[in-house]
Amino acid sequence: MRNKLRAILLLAAGAALMGGCSSLGVKPWQRDVLARQDMQLNSEPLDQAIDDHMYFSKEASSGGRGFAGGGCGCN
Amino acid sequence: MQLNATRGRLIAASCALLGATAARSQDAAGAAADSPSTDWSVDSALAYYNESGRIKAIEPIVNISKDYGDGNTFSAQLTFDSLSGSTPNGALPSRQPQTFASPSGKSLSAAPTTYTTSSGTLVSESAPVYTINPGQLPMDPHYHDQRLALSGSWGHAFTRLLTGTAGGKFSYERDFFSLSANAGLSRDFNDKNTTLSFQVNNEFDSLSPIGGAPVAASDYALFEKGGGKTKDGVGAMLGLTQVMTRRWLTEFNLSVDRFKGYLNDPYKIISVIDAGGNTTGYLYEKRPGTRTRESAYWDNRAAWGRVSGDLSLRYMVDDWHVHSDTAQLHLRWWNFDRDRYLEPTLRWYRQSAADFYTPWLDSTAGYIGYASSDQRLAAFHALTYGLKYGVKLEDSEDQSSSELSVRLEYYRQTPDSARAAPGSLQGLDLYPGLKAILLQVGWRF
Repeated sequence: MRNKLRAILLLAAGAALMGGCSSLGVKPWQRDVLARQDMQLNSEPLDQAIDDHMYFSKEASSGGRGFAGGGCGCN
Repeated sequence: MQLNATRGRLIAASCALLGATAARSQDAAGAAADSPSTDWSVDSALAYYNESGRIKAIEPIVNISKDYGDGNTFSAQLTFDSLSGSTPNGALPSRQPQTFASPSGKSLSAAPTTYTTSSGTLVSESAPVYTINPGQLPMDPHYHDQRLALSGSWGHAFTRLLTGTAGGKFSYERDFFSLSANAGLSRDFNDKNTTLSFQVNNEFDSLSPIGGAPVAASDYALFEKGGGKTKDGVGAMLGLTQVMTRRWLTEFNLSVDRFKGYLNDPYKIISVIDAGGNTTGYLYEKRPGTRTRESAYWDNRAAWGRVSGDLSLRYMVDDWHVHSDTAQLHLRWWNFDRDRYLEPTLRWYRQSAADFYTPWLDSTAGYIGYASSDQRLAAFHALTYGLKYGVKLEDSEDQSSSELSVRLEYYRQTPDSARAAPGSLQGLDLYPGLKAILLQVGWRF
């Protein structure tokens, strides 16, 4: 499984290199679609908070897009 | 200034959920979201959660955020949970009736406790015990708790390209108190098409289990319990957000956190079983005193006409040898006027068992190392099906000013592996899984 994580890290490094490529991305006047509320990465924070609480209470893994916290986990 | 204002608004939205990373505060890498405004924004929801035959919960939650228009943003969130119902205590079903004490109990005797008050009145109280019928999963039927959580986050644009965030969270339950703080920096590159961020988090937790914290791996019948316990954790996250095309935004996060201290569930026990499948006793669980988790998370947002989608993948591993895979897909369809939408959701999750997970202990086993029968540490997979419907409401100037939404989710957890049951345990449902529904009403204005 560590190998799997390393593979993902390599993918991440690749993505970072891609991110540095100036051929990606858009000009400021091309951000109309990106400006839509449903295109924001955290467009529904309360849905995510409620889902995260449910999954945190019932599963061994949590977090990923933010800090999950240790929690009590007593239910 | 305009860019700062819109950027700050994104920060406020992103940090609404405490613990959201600085990477997420750079949504769209500087793209303008809606119209810039220095008004307070309010997002609220009321959720009802119901596990089949187990826990029920009501959770109102409200978030307020403000963009000051000068690069500063503020966000605060208040959450209240009220939980009640039955929760598994970790023991196995049996062919015989089983009697357990609630956490506040001091004996397994069902005899009422009688005592005389200072005024001389004789009081008789029923013992806090419960009996589970043969074949039934042992669950404490009297579980109830309330949680109050308050979080806040502040964002500040140091320059046009460099933003900082700082936040904190306070959470209180009858038997649990948590305090955490986080801070982060994010930097835009490549015409704000690329954002690199880094965030750290520090958490301190104090546990005061009802009836006291049991001695790990001690005999349940002896009620060896002590005082409160603590644990603390630190975490770090590196994030990359990239605008790929006019219609595609991607985010990649790598995170690690480490907790140390009291990581047991103080209310969970393990059945001790003999070769005939008979329960000979129970022990309290015992987990390691440290846990380190690492995760990789990849999120993609894309839009085509009146449809937008969000696909996220997560891989997580920890030194308890739990590893998990998660995939989640949201698809949102807008109507022609873009004032109503329908959003189906599908989530798939799979995890392996912790290396010390065991559904029961053999009575012939000698030294008990780490052991827990908590189903949350078992191998299982889970599916979530969801549907959300939203309506945007217009104000007197025909401008969209608020949104009402209703969301329904169905969650089903299925065990993936089962240890062969000995003797009389055969034929009993030792791994019942879990089914739950979530109903949520939201109002944003």
